[in-house]
Amino acid sequence: MQERYQMMLEMIQARLLEKKRGMDFFIDALFRNILRAYDPELPTVYVSGYAFPMELLWAFDVTPFDFEIACNNLPEVMTGNGSGLMLESEKRGYSRNICSFDRLIIGCLHQGILPKGDLFLTSSYYCHGKAKTNEVVAAHYGMESVLLDVPNEISPAAITYVATQLRNIAAKLEAVTGTKLDPARLKESIHRSNQARASLLTICDWMKRRPCPWNGVEACLLGLGGALFWGSPVRIEIHRLLLTQILERVEKGKTIPEDYRILWFPWVPVQNTNIFKILKENCANVVMAEASFVFWPELDENRPFESLAMKALLDPHVGKAERRIQNLVQSIDDYQIDGAIHFSTTSCYHENTAFPIIRDAIKKKGVPLLNLSGDMSDERNYSAAETNIRISAFMELLAG
Amino acid sequence: MNEQLTIAPRRIGWFCSYVPEEIILAAGCEPVRLEGRVERFQEIDSYLHANLCFTIRNIFESGLRKQYDDLDAVIFANSCDGMRRLYELWSHYIQTPAAYFLEIPKNRDENGISFFSSQLLNLKNQLEEDFAVSITAERLVQAGLQMNERRGKMLELFERQKASPLPYKGSELHTLAIQEGRLPKRDMYPEIQSVLEKPVPVQPVGKAAPRLLVSGNEGTTPTLFRLIENSNADVVLFDTCRGLNHYTGMVSMGNDPIQSIARRYLFKPACARMPGSAQRMERLAALIDEYAIDGVVYSGVQFCDYTLFESALIEPFLKARSLPVLVVENDYIWSNTEQIRTRIEAFVEMTQNKRRTA
Ligand code: SF4
Ligand code: SF4
Repeated sequence: MQERYQMMLEMIQARLLEKKRGMDFFIDALFRNILRAYDPELPTVYVSGYAFPMELLWAFDVTPFDFEIACNNLPEVMTGNGSGLMLESEKRGYSRNICSFDRLIIGCLHQGILPKGDLFLTSSYYCHGKAKTNEVVAAHYGMESVLLDVPNEISPAAITYVATQLRNIAAKLEAVTGTKLDPARLKESIHRSNQARASLLTICDWMKRRPCPWNGVEACLLGLGGALFWGSPVRIEIHRLLLTQILERVEKGKTIPEDYRILWFPWVPVQNTNIFKILKENCANVVMAEASFVFWPELDENRPFESLAMKALLDPHVGKAERRIQNLVQSIDDYQIDGAIHFSTTSCYHENTAFPIIRDAIKKKGVPLLNLSGDMSDERNYSAAETNIRISAFMELLAG
Repeated sequence: MNEQLTIAPRRIGWFCSYVPEEIILAAGCEPVRLEGRVERFQEIDSYLHANLCFTIRNIFESGLRKQYDDLDAVIFANSCDGMRRLYELWSHYIQTPAAYFLEIPKNRDENGISFFSSQLLNLKNQLEEDFAVSITAERLVQAGLQMNERRGKMLELFERQKASPLPYKGSELHTLAIQEGRLPKRDMYPEIQSVLEKPVPVQPVGKAAPRLLVSGNEGTTPTLFRLIENSNADVVLFDTCRGLNHYTGMVSMGNDPIQSIARRYLFKPACARMPGSAQRMERLAALIDEYAIDGVVYSGVQFCDYTLFESALIEPFLKARSLPVLVVENDYIWSNTEQIRTRIEAFVEMTQNKRRTA
C-alpha cells in the first residue's frame, strides 16, 4: 500500500516542481498524511474528515487517517478496478448492497492494506455505514470504536450532547498522545479554520463569475478529501494557491468555454468515468458542488467545544433535507445555474431517500435536473454507455 | 392488574422499538405500530430509489395509498438513515395531521440519557399542545406500570420457551406479538392472559424437533416461522425488535418519570442500529445457551444496511462455535417464498443431522 501512495506522491511532487498549484498541493499533503499514518512515530487516529470537526485533532500531535479517502485514492479505484479490492469483503459476507465505500475499506482491511490505528473515531453523519465500518476495522485491531453521535435537531440540548462527546474524545486523544490538551493550541487550530473558511468564501465568490474561473468538480473533491485539513495550516495554503490561480486565470482570460453552468450534488464519483469528458465536450461547466458549500458560521475560539458541536450539527447531511434544499436553491441564483445534476450512488440510503423532496424543489425553481445513477467507486454499478445517453439527452434539454 | 388508563380513540402511529409507548398512553392516545400494508408496489418507484429498504418502501407506499389516513399522528424515530428521511417524505407527501421526529442517541451513557430525556420531554410537550391534554408525572408512572405489566406477560411467554418439548409454536407467539403492537392495549391484555393460562400442549417425548432462533428483522407476516415449522423444526425464540428484544427491560420509575423511561429504552438490549456488535454477539451466545438452540436463522430486510453489516458478523461468529446459521434476505412481505423454502429445508436437515451426531 505504502509503495502505491509513494509512487503517486512522486508524480504529484514532479508536477509541483513545475508549478505550485492548489489542487496538487492538496493531493501532495493528502498522500504525505496517508504515508505518515504508517509511521509508528506519531499516534494514528482513524477519522472521517468530512464528517468530523477536525479542528480538535489538529490541536494534538497525531496523524489523522481518513480510511474512506485513503482507500478511494488507491490507483485501483481511480482506474476503474476498485471492485477487485471490494471482493475481499464480499467473500466475507458483506453484501453488494452495502455502499462501495464501506466494502472497499473492509476489503482493504482484510488485505492488510490499512495502517494500524491508535484511536478509531467516527461520526454518525453522513451515513451509518461509516460508523459500522469503523467498528469492523477497530474490532479487527482489537480496539474500541468511538462514535461522535450528531443528532438531527439543533437545540441547546443537542449542542450540550455533542460538545460533551467532543470533550470525551479530547480525553481519549490526551490518552493516546500522553499530553494534555493545550487550550491555546485548540484556539490556534480554530483560528486557522476560520481563516481558511474566509478564503474559501472568497473562492466561492469568484466561482460566481461567468465564465467560472475554477472547477466545481475539484471544489467537490477538496470539500470532501480536504475536510481533513480544517484547522491545519495546509488548508490555508491550499486556498492561497487556488486564489492565486483563479486571479491569474481571470487576468489572462484563461477560463474554459462555458455554455451551460451546472450545479452538482451531492458528490462526484471517485472512479474514473466518462461524465466530465462528455460535459466538457458540450461546454457544460460544473461551477459549484454541494460538497463545497460553507454551511457553518465563523467558529468561536473562546467556546471551542460548543462551536465545533455547532459546526457538526449544521452539516447539511445531518438534520432535515430542507437545509440542503435551501442551500441548493440559493446557489441556483447565486451561481446562475442552467442545469443541475444529481449523482445517485447505489446504496447511499440517506441521500437517495432525500432525493424526491430535493427534486421537487429544484423543479419548482424551473431548473432542468438530471438524476444520474452510478456508484462512487464500484465500476460494476456504472455504465458508461448509459451515462453517455443520459447526459446527451440532458444537453439537448438544456439547449432547448 | 393495574388500573388501566382510559384510552381515547385518538391513534398515534409509531414504528421503531425505541419509541416509548408510555408517552402515547399517558397522552390518552392509542399507540399503533406502523407496518407496511401493500402486497405489490405501484407508486413507490416514482419516489424512491430501487435500492432502498423494503420496510421503508412498503410503509411509504401504504401511506401514499392512504392506508394510514385513520391516524391522528405518527412518531418517527432516527432508527436509521432511511427512516430519518421517511419522516420528511411523510411530512411532505402524506401529511398525517401531525408527524413527530424522535432522536435516539447512539451513545448509551449518562450524556445520552440526558439528551434522550430532553427529546422525550419535547415529544411530551408537543403531544400536550397538539392534543390539548396534560401528561402529568402521575399519568406517566401509570403508563409505565401498564407497559411493564404487558412486558412481563410477554416475557413470561418467552421464558416458557426454554422448556423442551416446546410449549408454544414460534409462529403463534409471533402473531401474538404483531397483534400486541397493532391492536388496542385493552384488547390485548385478555388475549395475552388467555395464552398464558391455556394448558400447554405436551409434545410426545422423543419427537423433539431442532430448536431454532430467529434474529434480524423478520417482518410482520409469520411466513418465515411457518416455513421453518413446516420443515419440521421449531422456532423457539425470535430475538428481534418485535420479539424478545422489544420486551426485555422494565421501566424502573424514579423521581423523574421521563428520565426513567429514557433509561429503560436506551439501556434495553441494543439492536443493530446501536454501536457494540461484540456485546450483541455475546447476548446472542447467551440466549443460545439458555434456550438450548440448535441453529440460528438470521433474516434481514433487503437493503437494510444494519442487518447487512450484522449478518456478515454473525455468520463467522456462530460458525466458529460450530452452530449452524442460515442468512436469508426478505422483501418484508416474503414474496420470494419458494426459493427460501428450499434453503430452509436444507438448513433444517443439516441441523437435524448435526444434532443426531452430537
Ligand atoms: S456514498 Fe453515502 S452511503 Fe456511501 S459512504 Fe458516502 S454517505 Fe455513506
Ligand atoms: S429494516 Fe433496517 S433500513 Fe429498514 S427501517 Fe428498519 S432499520 Fe431502517
